Amino acid sequence: MDFYLGLAQVIGIHTLLGLSAWCVLHTGQVSIAQGGFFAIGAYVAGMLTSMAGWPLAPALAVGALAAGAVAVAVGFPALRVKGLMLVVATTAFAEIVRLFFFNFKWRVQTAEGLIGPDASLGFGGIRYFPSHAWSTLDVNLLIWALVGATLVVLAWLDRSRVGTLWRAVGEDELAAQSAGINLTAAKVSAFGIGGCIAGLAGGVFAHYATHIEHNNFGILLATFAIAYPIIGGLSSLAGTLLAVIFVQGVLLEGLRFIGEWRSLLFGALIVAVMLVRPSGLLQRSLGLGLGRRA
Amino acid sequence: MLELRHLSRHFGGVKAVDELELEVRQGEILGLIGPNGSGKSTTVNLITGVYKPTAGSLHFKGQEISGLAAHQRTELGIARTFQNIRLFGHLTVWQNLWAARVVRQGGWAGFRERWLSGARAAREQAEELLVFGDLAHKRDLLAGNLAFGEQRRLELIRAAASGAELLLLDEPAAGMNAEEIHDLDQRIRLLRQQGRTILLIEHHMELVMEVCDRIAVLNFGRKIAEGTPAQVQQNAQVRAAYLGTDEIDQSKPSPEAPHHA
Amino acid sequence: MDSLYFLDLSQSVIDGVLFGAIYALIGIGFTLIFGVMHKINLAYAAASIGAAYLSLLVVNVFPAPAVYLVAALAGGALGWLIYLVCFRFLPLDNPMATLMSTLGMLLAIEELISHITRGMPQNFPALFASTNIEVGPYFLRGDLMFVFALGCVAMVGLLQLLKRSRLGLATRAVAEQAVAAQLCGMSVNNTNASTFVIAGFLGGTAGAMAGAAIGVLSPLMALPLTVKGLVVTVIGGLGSIPGAIVAGLLVGACENFFQFVRGVGERDIYVMLMLFVFLVFRPGGLFAAPGGRD
Repeated sequence: MDFYLGLAQVIGIHTLLGLSAWCVLHTGQVSIAQGGFFAIGAYVAGMLTSMAGWPLAPALAVGALAAGAVAVAVGFPALRVKGLMLVVATTAFAEIVRLFFFNFKWRVQTAEGLIGPDASLGFGGIRYFPSHAWSTLDVNLLIWALVGATLVVLAWLDRSRVGTLWRAVGEDELAAQSAGINLTAAKVSAFGIGGCIAGLAGGVFAHYATHIEHNNFGILLATFAIAYPIIGGLSSLAGTLLAVIFVQGVLLEGLRFIGEWRSLLFGALIVAVMLVRPSGLLQRSLGLGLGRRA
Repeated sequence: MLELRHLSRHFGGVKAVDELELEVRQGEILGLIGPNGSGKSTTVNLITGVYKPTAGSLHFKGQEISGLAAHQRTELGIARTFQNIRLFGHLTVWQNLWAARVVRQGGWAGFRERWLSGARAAREQAEELLVFGDLAHKRDLLAGNLAFGEQRRLELIRAAASGAELLLLDEPAAGMNAEEIHDLDQRIRLLRQQGRTILLIEHHMELVMEVCDRIAVLNFGRKIAEGTPAQVQQNAQVRAAYLGTDEIDQSKPSPEAPHHA
Repeated sequence: MDSLYFLDLSQSVIDGVLFGAIYALIGIGFTLIFGVMHKINLAYAAASIGAAYLSLLVVNVFPAPAVYLVAALAGGALGWLIYLVCFRFLPLDNPMATLMSTLGMLLAIEELISHITRGMPQNFPALFASTNIEVGPYFLRGDLMFVFALGCVAMVGLLQLLKRSRLGLATRAVAEQAVAAQLCGMSVNNTNASTFVIAGFLGGTAGAMAGAAIGVLSPLMALPLTVKGLVVTVIGGLGSIPGAIVAGLLVGACENFFQFVRGVGERDIYVMLMLFVFLVFRPGGLFAAPGGRD
């Protein structure tokens, strides 16, 4: 039972990560940066609870907002370019974040000793959950409550004019511009909201893992983030959730046979899915026009 | 309403638009014609903000707009349709209109309308346009699944949905049969009757001569003629531009010469 | 700061320029594939390192120079393989699909190398390692000079191929107008595959060069090489080979410059920031791509 609860936690966090990428992908932008926002949320929330003694909720909120703010700041220059150049820009940004935390050192003296990010050694001692006697079930409830809330918010956004504007921008930027849509506002808002969600996921992850380091936030995480919405099919939120369950499920099963070759399996899985069903698992109409030139 | 003064757009050595002087008067239907490559599409792109002018200026309702971004010009009141249909294919007919609705109110009401669900006034306006375009019964279909003629109608009403006063129609008749063109003729007149000004770029001469109040003719990026349809039809330069010069080239065989197998 | 400091600094920069030939080749490879298929092969640098590993298989059988040739050939083979798996059967109008699938391939290759070599770096034969040329107060390292020379040979070879051969002509034709090229009797699939093979030759050479310059091969090299290669491609201008060459040398020089001034840990942060500066002020890159709009 504990095993499944643990798996549920991972699925929950990854779902949030996937949803953050969903927002951005909806406007037709491919962002490899979600891992970077995840990292920011993780470090900020972790530092606030373990170094400054904050309660969990405000720490998570501030972590998410910090990530969102950085997303907006980075979005303005980065979103001036499209398509593949944006891929490069967001990849570079994610690397900058990772390298920043690779070098970042700030420790304070607390009752439990020196706590804080310690450059390449990582950031340990994020012991909010254990010190407040949270059980695995409790953590799960928190994670899934957040997932549920995020799904509700995104579903509402999608139904509202915002979602229509996002998708219009994703369909055809030239037509959208001519229809009076402010491209920058649409893209940056999607990017910012995506950044917030990723930051939230990161904050939860930091507490779940109790020890984080720069290696956690590399290309593999960024790949997971965009893989879920793409594999799940971009037209539906549920698809992302399904994709997380599918990927994590397959990986887990595969682990039993192949042992430690997790990333290899993941990589091969992605390649296979793209060959078989490139528009995603839940895509009703084949061939979503994201980034397609008219 | 719209004035182009000394407007030029160069692409390297090519002068796509060269010292163009044009005026679109309020409430009129002005036709813009010219052979292929004469600069019509470039002119439209200059007006809507896709290109920035190399020289010259654009004035809309008295305001210089060359520095404005495309969506800002739409907010001011200029909207366009595209030669190659550019609908939001995976959005429904209704959503295409909704996305294009430009909100001009400020404050909280404006914010609510712009970013959250549309208010009743917005929906009513869009419903009217759906009826106008004969697409009310198709409002929930994906735009990409419509028939060609329906897509053209949607492009038209989407441009109108932004509340624009000046509509630029870029070859709306391309690919249409006679019945559809007649329909288009009626719709353009109705749009003008509803208070809009129309700049029509077209190749289909019958439509242009029928529906336009005035016509301007471009060739090699310059305006070579302007006037009523009757005047333009008589203009020798216009004929030369479309049909070639009158003199027969002595070195070439005459059209009556027998063909050799 | 005395003259010795500047001497050391400029020595560093010179070494960086020589090393930059590697980045230039990787950048050319990315830009070549982009120019022809309008897609990015994210697995390119990983395949290049993979080719270098494969060439190690013959290091005891053939003399050292042959190893480089084998690396190039292996690179070509891997390039063809990647084309087959990640591009050939995927829908052309869905850029996300190939993005994901090459990303998956990148992970798979990296992981495969890691597991087969059990994470141990492998020594790579360097030529002319002990030869140094003195030019004034500067040392030109023999191994770096060799790497640079090899890079030049590869670049010249490529340019000759593109300009003089029928294949080169076909490549350029398909890049400009794929449909028209088909109607002229050129097989787009064959041209695309050949492009991948040629880019693979370059990549394999670059992988070997990297191994020679650093002295060892490690799977950890794949990702930084990918990111820097993409940075080079963007700075040079997507689709421009001269741009990639100039940008490659530039990035190599700047990398060493930043390393000298701020140390190895922070070096890459500044390189990435350089990319962002370019994106904001010159998104088209140093040399804009010929032809293609968008």
